[in-house]
Amino acid sequence: MMRPRLKQAGWIAALALLGLASSQSDPLKAAVATGGAQYAQVILDQDEGQRLCTQYQSQLPGELIPKFIEAQKALIRYPANGKLLGDWQNGEKVFTDPKRGNCYACHQGDPKQLAYGTMGPSLANYGARGTSEPILRYTYEKIYNSWAFVPCSLMYRGGVHGLFTPEETADLVAFLVDANSPLNRR
Amino acid sequence: MRWTGLALLLLSLLGVLAQSVPEDPRDEAKRQKQLLLQTSGILPSDLIVEQGKDLFYTKRGPRGVSLEGCDFGLGAGVLQGASVQLPRYFADTGKVEDLDSRIRTCMTQLQGFKPEEVKRSEVVPLAFFIAAQSDGLPIQVRIAAPAEREMYELGQKLFYARSGARDMGCATCHVSYVNRRSGVLPFSDVLGKDASMSHWPAYRYSNDQAWTMEDRIRACYGNLGHPQPDFYSPVPIALQLFMAYQANQAKAELPGFLR
Repeated sequence: MMRPRLKQAGWIAALALLGLASSQSDPLKAAVATGGAQYAQVILDQDEGQRLCTQYQSQLPGELIPKFIEAQKALIRYPANGKLLGDWQNGEKVFTDPKRGNCYACHQGDPKQLAYGTMGPSLANYGARGTSEPILRYTYEKIYNSWAFVPCSLMYRGGVHGLFTPEETADLVAFLVDANSPLNRR
Repeated sequence: MRWTGLALLLLSLLGVLAQSVPEDPRDEAKRQKQLLLQTSGILPSDLIVEQGKDLFYTKRGPRGVSLEGCDFGLGAGVLQGASVQLPRYFADTGKVEDLDSRIRTCMTQLQGFKPEEVKRSEVVPLAFFIAAQSDGLPIQVRIAAPAEREMYELGQKLFYARSGARDMGCATCHVSYVNRRSGVLPFSDVLGKDASMSHWPAYRYSNDQAWTMEDRIRACYGNLGHPQPDFYSPVPIALQLFMAYQANQAKAELPGFLR
């Protein structure tokens, strides 16, 4: 009983905020509010990173980049057991699942999988980089929050948004680097 | 059985395609259009236009009138050249309206339908019929009225906005990654070479769909796992005004015929 009520209260508060930002001062806020409650909520719930990437049309001015990257790094969470290398077989499931990683939309992965996008670089043979700690850490952090490396990159921050958990991020790392992963098999 | 038949048809089509697959999806759409014309003598979109024509001229709704009294911006009943000048500001509603919302306005205010009685299955064919009267004309939208300026700016902001759990927006794919593809689908150059507003509403042969740009915009958001803006709301209208202004002077192909 409490939950819907709280939700509604939050929505009313959001509308009240919109009221303050009248159509003159911010036509965006006023107009999106009439575009449907759910749509408006997602637009109005933009986090600081999304707001900056929107404001600068994804071309952040150089002087803003260090602070932006620092803020994005601070959003990265790690697995409770501290292990950045998980289970590659589960990683493959997360990689392929359109609702979680959805990685094939942009990247080549398993060379046998032909329906891949070309927006990101090919990840075939990613394991050639080895499994040293710096490689694992970079891979983990890049997957969890790509904006900690490339501000406003197309690559969405799946970890930050909870599309996959820290443990599943470690599984994705394994799918990329493990010698037995189809990405690296010869 | 139906599916088996369909699968066989698709397989044979693939066989035909395999002989010479054009690289460019635009050329491929032209080829598919030719094939359909050759085999059936008429395009599915022609039938939708005819359906819209019937709906337009039939006396309907509680007031029992046709849509001939509807002003799409060039005066009551003037259809030629009307849709290439939309979205635009309408003094009678005090709003910037696109083709979809203007059809709804006339169905409610002229014919007396209740807003909830306005069905997409009628708005879409009507949009096809009205748009077809501007085939071959250049896109000519203006940013003159203050409400148009405001809508244009809203559309521009929304086009470049990054939002939702996938941090995306229109421009991430349709500007920054125009020459790439997601999965097997190539991105159209919405603001540039494709001047996308010049060929919507459109028939999509790959899944036999008749869509207006409002449907298209909502599907884009849906594909990103992003909540969709409501039909007829300022969001799709603003995005269309922004896109149409970028497409000014482009020759309209209406209705469009796309993958």
